[in-house]
Amino acid sequence: MSPLADLQRQVAGAILGGGPSDMPALAPSPISAGAAFAVHRDTVLSGLAGALRLTFPTVGALVGVAFFDQMALAFVAEQPPRRANLAAYGEGFPDFINRYPHAASLTYLGDVARLDLAVAQALGKPDKDIRREVVLDEAIRLSLPVSLTAFALHSPADLIRDGVEAEDDQALAAINLSSRPRWFAVWRDGRAASVQPLNPAAGLFLHAVLAGAGADAALEAATTDTGPAAALLVLQTEVFAARFAQIIQAPPEEIQP
Amino acid sequence: MTFPQRSPKGASGAARLADPIPAKAGIGLRFPHHDHVLNHRPDTAWLEVHPENYLGRGVAADDLERVRRDYPVSLHATGLSLGSGEGLDAEHVAAIANLARRIQPGLVSDHLSWSTSGGVHLPDLLPLPYTEEALSVVAHNIDQLQTALGRQILIENPSTYLAFADSPLSEAEFLGELTRVSGCGLLLDVNNIAVSGGNLGQSPAQRLALLLDQVPAAAIGEIHLAGHAVRRLDDGTLLRIDDHGWPVSAEVWTLYEALIARIGARPTLIEWDTAIPAFETLQGQADIAQSILDRFNQPARSMAHVAAR
Repeated sequence: MSPLADLQRQVAGAILGGGPSDMPALAPSPISAGAAFAVHRDTVLSGLAGALRLTFPTVGALVGVAFFDQMALAFVAEQPPRRANLAAYGEGFPDFINRYPHAASLTYLGDVARLDLAVAQALGKPDKDIRREVVLDEAIRLSLPVSLTAFALHSPADLIRDGVEAEDDQALAAINLSSRPRWFAVWRDGRAASVQPLNPAAGLFLHAVLAGAGADAALEAATTDTGPAAALLVLQTEVFAARFAQIIQAPPEEIQP
Repeated sequence: MTFPQRSPKGASGAARLADPIPAKAGIGLRFPHHDHVLNHRPDTAWLEVHPENYLGRGVAADDLERVRRDYPVSLHATGLSLGSGEGLDAEHVAAIANLARRIQPGLVSDHLSWSTSGGVHLPDLLPLPYTEEALSVVAHNIDQLQTALGRQILIENPSTYLAFADSPLSEAEFLGELTRVSGCGLLLDVNNIAVSGGNLGQSPAQRLALLLDQVPAAAIGEIHLAGHAVRRLDDGTLLRIDDHGWPVSAEVWTLYEALIARIGARPTLIEWDTAIPAFETLQGQADIAQSILDRFNQPARSMAHVAAR
């Protein structure tokens, strides 16, 4: 390792580790090494906590700045950022929250973080008119926004997010926190993200096709907990006729042998 | 190596050239002011953004493309880590270059600092020792970036809180040599001069003079102005913190006026990054800078004077 790279490892370690100050590489200065390192440490840690607050606004509103920052700094210590694009930092934060002992009583918090993350990721992608097509069969393709994701949560994170955004404490207090799988579709719609709850059959189908499954495999996934007839009815209303979807029928010449 | 100030053809083949940044006062655009700028199109000469906040093709990037239709835009990076002894993040460089191709900025800049070590990115502008090794590293990294961008960049003098024992060059000497060997220009941050001078026990005016002695005026492509916090430490020492959360100080205005009198008008940016006030407050700061620029807006004569030194 070059002398410069070695020095930078020492400085980075001192900043993240909270130390300085007795580094022989430092020269005497009017500002003590401890004070100087404290400035850099504050800048780094407040910057990272701030970046996480921007990505996880509902979590931040629920737990308050002090708790959030404490949790964020524990996450930073475990999973520091690897890239300068801090908007993409925090993918592991929801799982970290689920393991964070001080948040153990907030059983819904990890799911709220997952929904916050999905919204932030959708906002970081092209708008809904930039689409990808999924071939369902020879004659039909399903056109979906490239920003679309479908995933399941066990807590009513959408209701919690709505209540926090509306600052409606009564609505928040009335939420039933009982645990059961809930599916969601999230996609970018202009300068906002749309969050739509889905029937499990629709969620399983979308999740499968977005993961690259063919129509048959996706349909099989959709019927895991639902009979074929009921699942098809759900797909018709919650996928094929959904706001985010368009059905494209291939022109006859494209399907002729 | 020198690079053209105007960008080559974009990927689409369209000959869209970057609008040059005028030698006027501009404003650093931050998220809280997107709606104001997009909806009200304030009378601002130019805007500057941190490109790290506009990567990808999301809402922020779309906002920037709309802003770019109405304003000359400068990209002021904070995360390229040009001083990193472990080299640049090629993927991040490519992302910045892609954004530059789309936005066609009038200027591109980053800092004389580093942020990445051991695969960890620290969102700060960390100091370098001013050694021959560091000079070689930064020049190499700048060359790599300028090649990826196909243009010259500006590099900003840092705000400093500590000094290294093995640092045989002064910051001014380092920057002067860096501009010479890499072909980059200088983004002269006057607030950083005041912060560093105060923290290192040097006269900011003298620090500015030393920098101007080492860096040709023609290499100074942009000026930054910002406010800083002052905190008294337990031992009574005053610590200046470059937090960009205050109006430009009287001391910095004085330094700026002396700088413009010496080198002539340059694109001048008002930066405000913490406790961001209403856009009108930033516009008020920009108006003060513009009044100084107007008073000394004779770049050719002033630069000839400097060149004759």
